[in-house]
Amino acid sequence: MSALLAKRLGAIVMISIALAGVLFYLQKISPLDPVHARLGGQASASAVAAERHRLGLDRPEFTQFVDYVRGAVHGDLGDSYRTRRPVSTDLRAYLPATAELALSGLLIAMVLGVLLAFATTLRWKASSVLRPVLLLGASTPTFLLGIAGILLFYSKLHWLPATGRSSLADVPGGPTGLITVDALLHGRFDVFWDAVQHLIMPATAIALGPAVAIARVLRSSLVSDQRSDYARTARAKGLSEPAILIKHVLRNCVGAALSMTGLQVGLMFAGVLVIEQVFSWPGIGQYVAQSIPVADFPAISGVTLLLGVGYVVINTVVDLLQAVADPRIKV
Amino acid sequence: MAIAEPVARRALRTTSRRKTRNLERKASVAAASLFGVVTLAALLAPVLSPDNPLMPAGAPLLGPGKGGFLLGSDSIGRDVLSRVLYGMRTSWFAALGVIALGLLIGGVIGLVAGATGGWVDNVLMRITDAFLALPAPVLAIAVVAALGPSLLHTLVAVSIVWWPFYARIVRGEIRNLAARPHVEAAKLAGAGRLRIAVRHLLPGAVPAALVTASLDIGNLVLTLAGLSFLGLGQSAPAAELGADTARNLSFLLQDWWVPVMPGIGVLVLAFIGNIAGDGVRNLIEPD
Amino acid sequence: MHLAFGPAAEKTVTDPGASTSEAQAIEVASIEDLHVTFRRSGKDIAALRGVSLDIRRGEILGLVGESGSGKSVLGLALLGLLDARADVRGAVRVAGRDMAHCDQSARREVRRVHLGAVFQDPMTSLNPTMRVGRQVAEVAGSKDEAERLLGAVGIPDPASRMDAFPHELSGGLRQRVMIAMAVAGNPDLIVADEPTTALDVTVQAQVLTLLRSLRDEIGCSVLLITHDLGCAAQVADRVAVMYAGRLAELGSSAEVLARASHPYTLALLRSRLSLASDRTTSLLALPGEVPNPAAPEPGCAFAPRCDLAGPACLDAPPPPLEVRPGHLSACVVPAVEVTSRLAEVVRAAVVPHPEREPHNDDVVTLYRVQKSFRVGAGRTTRRLQALRGVNLTVGRGESVALVGESGSGKSTLLRIVAGLESFDGGKLEVAGPDCPQMVFQDAGASLTPWLTVGEIIGERLRGISRAERAAKVAQALAHVGLPAEVAKAKSAQLSGGQRQRVSLARATVVAPSILLCDEPTSALDVSLAASVINLIGGLRRELGMSVLFVTHDLSVARVVADRIAVMYLGRIVEVGDADQITSQPVHPYTQALMSAVPDMGREPVALRGEPASPLAPPAGCAFHSRCPKAIDDCGDALLDVRLTAVDRSAHHLAACIRATA
Ligand SMILES: Nc1ncnc2c1ncn2[C@@H]1O[C@H](COP(=O)(O)OP(=O)(O)OP(=O)(O)O)[C@@H](O)[C@H]1O
Ligand code: SF4
Ligand code: SF4
Ligand SMILES: [Mg+2]
Repeated sequence: MSALLAKRLGAIVMISIALAGVLFYLQKISPLDPVHARLGGQASASAVAAERHRLGLDRPEFTQFVDYVRGAVHGDLGDSYRTRRPVSTDLRAYLPATAELALSGLLIAMVLGVLLAFATTLRWKASSVLRPVLLLGASTPTFLLGIAGILLFYSKLHWLPATGRSSLADVPGGPTGLITVDALLHGRFDVFWDAVQHLIMPATAIALGPAVAIARVLRSSLVSDQRSDYARTARAKGLSEPAILIKHVLRNCVGAALSMTGLQVGLMFAGVLVIEQVFSWPGIGQYVAQSIPVADFPAISGVTLLLGVGYVVINTVVDLLQAVADPRIKV
Repeated sequence: MAIAEPVARRALRTTSRRKTRNLERKASVAAASLFGVVTLAALLAPVLSPDNPLMPAGAPLLGPGKGGFLLGSDSIGRDVLSRVLYGMRTSWFAALGVIALGLLIGGVIGLVAGATGGWVDNVLMRITDAFLALPAPVLAIAVVAALGPSLLHTLVAVSIVWWPFYARIVRGEIRNLAARPHVEAAKLAGAGRLRIAVRHLLPGAVPAALVTASLDIGNLVLTLAGLSFLGLGQSAPAAELGADTARNLSFLLQDWWVPVMPGIGVLVLAFIGNIAGDGVRNLIEPD
Repeated sequence: MHLAFGPAAEKTVTDPGASTSEAQAIEVASIEDLHVTFRRSGKDIAALRGVSLDIRRGEILGLVGESGSGKSVLGLALLGLLDARADVRGAVRVAGRDMAHCDQSARREVRRVHLGAVFQDPMTSLNPTMRVGRQVAEVAGSKDEAERLLGAVGIPDPASRMDAFPHELSGGLRQRVMIAMAVAGNPDLIVADEPTTALDVTVQAQVLTLLRSLRDEIGCSVLLITHDLGCAAQVADRVAVMYAGRLAELGSSAEVLARASHPYTLALLRSRLSLASDRTTSLLALPGEVPNPAAPEPGCAFAPRCDLAGPACLDAPPPPLEVRPGHLSACVVPAVEVTSRLAEVVRAAVVPHPEREPHNDDVVTLYRVQKSFRVGAGRTTRRLQALRGVNLTVGRGESVALVGESGSGKSTLLRIVAGLESFDGGKLEVAGPDCPQMVFQDAGASLTPWLTVGEIIGERLRGISRAERAAKVAQALAHVGLPAEVAKAKSAQLSGGQRQRVSLARATVVAPSILLCDEPTSALDVSLAASVINLIGGLRRELGMSVLFVTHDLSVARVVADRIAVMYLGRIVEVGDADQITSQPVHPYTQALMSAVPDMGREPVALRGEPASPLAPPAGCAFHSRCPKAIDDCGDALLDVRLTAVDRSAHHLAACIRATA
């Protein structure tokens, strides 16, 4: 196991550096000049030269790249053109909201995916209706799910809030920055419940598509393994169908579902960025949306690096879980 | 000669399978042909649209059905239906374009890697894996941010992150085929590398690539809509589904149709894409 | 005139004088007029068409038939595991229940308490992600009992194997785990569907012996499903022969062997290869193809292939009738007449091989050829020594067979000669002008699925006009006994036998100097294998080709080859004339292989252990870990056993320090 772990950690580092390289190169081919972006069009030639020097742009490209990576490792992602603050400071402010939303979405996607897969595999009563519904769910853009939810549950039924993370004034500032977790740590169940209410709609909106994808993969591997030789052996032993599904088939199928989950995380990140707009969620999506129109490249590349590394880390965890589930995967 | 024994008493099995199982097949054909129908409709969007999508055609913010606007009018009195139709046309062609480019690049790289094997395969697949290890939509955002927002840049960006998926699929199929004895038999029969790749390997990877591509159109429509929603698309007056929703979010609670209708346009397109993709899959890989 | 053959009638036939109540105690399962029909892509597949059969307490009943004859369906019907969509008529009584029609929970109960099952492929039949101890304990009830069972089926050190996953065990051990699960809880009946087909010859014998000793110990019955009449006859008390979903013949093993009464059984016995088969004439192949279950014959299903078929055979399928007490045969021709009339047909069909003039030049020469593969990646890379110095020659026009168990390196050797694989050391000379051709074990997979047969064969004929090419393709097809229309077909439209003929046509459309055959018959049914072997022999003589033939079956090697080379762990351990090797083998491994060949009326002799891993071949003589004759010197790391002449005959060589006949 430790060998696999070391290998995967190495891969995380390699891929992160590759991503940094891509971003660095994008900055280079970008028609936007970072100095002009900072100083504006009318800056004097000497001011431009001084700024070039301050930013290290007069040094060889490779040195610049090494500096960039070194900076990124130490949390220095450059300064935003727009806010004039270090990007890392900005991200630190926005990250907890996004992390809370993304993690809740992931949780919902996994639970919902497994439930849907079981419902359709065991042919529960509603499952024939479920298939077209699933197809429809998989075809709905996140933002439409979000605004439809607002129209129904906020505007019409008044069940759920439509904006922000919390409507309470005295939210405890906690160690994690995730309101739900911090509220529990402080024993504030009112805050917790309020935060959950705020989370339900946006998290479900980003989870639905991935849930359907996970359910499809899990279902098809459950169904095909139900017909497998080893399931026949279990049947010959006299086991019941649910017992076969849970004791034998399920563990053989988690691998497929897990790798689909890993893949879906990437799409979910995009969903998070979008849904934060819809629900005025104070997270990285807001930051990106404000950065795009003004072409604030350092901000966007900081976000990309952060999400990219997050994605790689999550997929590594997924790989390790797969190795735990399947003894044939060499560790 | 004595070796010629009477074997073929029951000669070739006829393929009368086709006659039966017709209902399912017909449904799949109908579903798959939706691809053609939608493409045709997209071509004809200018004819199908009642109004110019860029010009006000009446009073602003009329509800669906009012003032001759089937889906209502937007804040400056443009016909929402026309804007949605034009937006769908753009989305559809954009998705097709990315898929075609992805298939082409991914197919060539996958074929070369799979058919050559060895270090070529290793290098090509490492590159592919590195791309696959990154979240595609997020990377696309960075690319567009660097190049400056425009539809073309978005398409380039998405294509750059989309082909590795196809390269993986095609390469996987080709590797599986290359391990079959028929390739060795062809080698012994004197076929060269190119001939083996084109005649004995490639045709076998086409079905899987086509199935993947057709199941992928729905995804791509959704991804492009999301990027457009974030502002990575055509600039202001142009009709684009995601952007139209994003720009009109503030009307949601009073004049819901303005932001909702473009979203439904995305839904319809993705849904048709998914149904048609399923149809293609059922046709190519029955059961 | 034919009476319906009911269960009551059979009881009186099989147990003359037994009263009905006694008869009930005697059988553990009884099948009454069982019909099973599947619907596949709109067509009805008649898998079983009226089978009545009793399985007696404590007996081993061998169920023999070609692929598609319905033997697995019968086994699954006994277990109550048929596809829910199958149409089942008749009754399958086990422990007082009808496994075809009672509800699922009752079937489950019968399976749990009264039945056990062993399936063909132990790798896929065991759950890959569950420790074998738990899988056994699931039926055995407790871990201790599971461990006891693992010991009882001959798994060494069962305590440590309890925690193993299936992929960590060898094929033979895996099948033993399956058997442990089957015997857990002392079932009345074990259904074993081809339990040895996926295993090596020497391991096959071990598993058969194990099944029999378990039967003796716990007194259960065993339904042993197999495609090999010899294997069934060897261990079974009674044998049932099936053809196209019906019973063709049923009787005690000795009776069926000695006095087979059904033309199909006789044909199987004739085309079956054994160590006693006549090498000087062509084999008596059964003509035609296996029956198509989607289009059953109205009369006797065997009629299209039967030498005795007459008008009476075409009306209705003949029911099994008693020919002697306890011996049933389903043929309209009386048993005595069958044997005498067939004997005449056979005499007429025997074609002696023409004399072969002795060869003097060599087509293939291998000298100390070595090959190793890298397996694993990174730090776990290991070298798998596939060939550890092989010397071999094949003369012009000569046929040489390579025999050995899986992993012995025989296919690697063949692929090196073909030029499909490189080698690391030694010398290889192949006489030109053109490269060797090869036929593969899986003929279907060796034909490009989307190309027509004409295009595939034509690939070897470039630089000539279309018409010429078509003519040559048709000629090559005719040579292998296929009509010219086959050229337009794709491989999926052909049957297994036809595919192997097509690949032979491709190999011989331009005659190569040497034809390499990689187990070309092992995937074919017994009745088709003989005709393919005849075809290869005929082509070889006609075209003057040499043949290098890989097989794991000594009885096949004996009839196809002039000389036989026996391989073990990447080395040739014995080589000589086919007759010499099979009549007086001197190497202990060859001797073990010989006694493992399943044959009728002979006890299987099992070699202990399984082939050692080519990742770590034992030092000294690589066979010493299993050799019954081994002495201390054999494991000496300095020992290098070379092939040396036996009896001063330059033809017969063996690599053993104790080689004596
Ligand atoms: N579940 C099924 N659905 C449809 N057809 C089936 C099914 N199971 C078996 N058949 C068909 O029934 C016929 C008899 O099959 P069966 O497996 O019993 O043959 P077999 O004698 O065991 O052959 P083999 O030696 O290949 O194992 C075959 O034509 C087979 O294709
Ligand atoms: S019934 Fe006729 S066709 Fe069938 S085996 Fe007997 S003789 Fe041959
Ligand atoms: S050398 Fe020794 S171990 Fe090897 S075969 Fe001969 S007797 Fe057996
Ligand atoms: Mg079978």
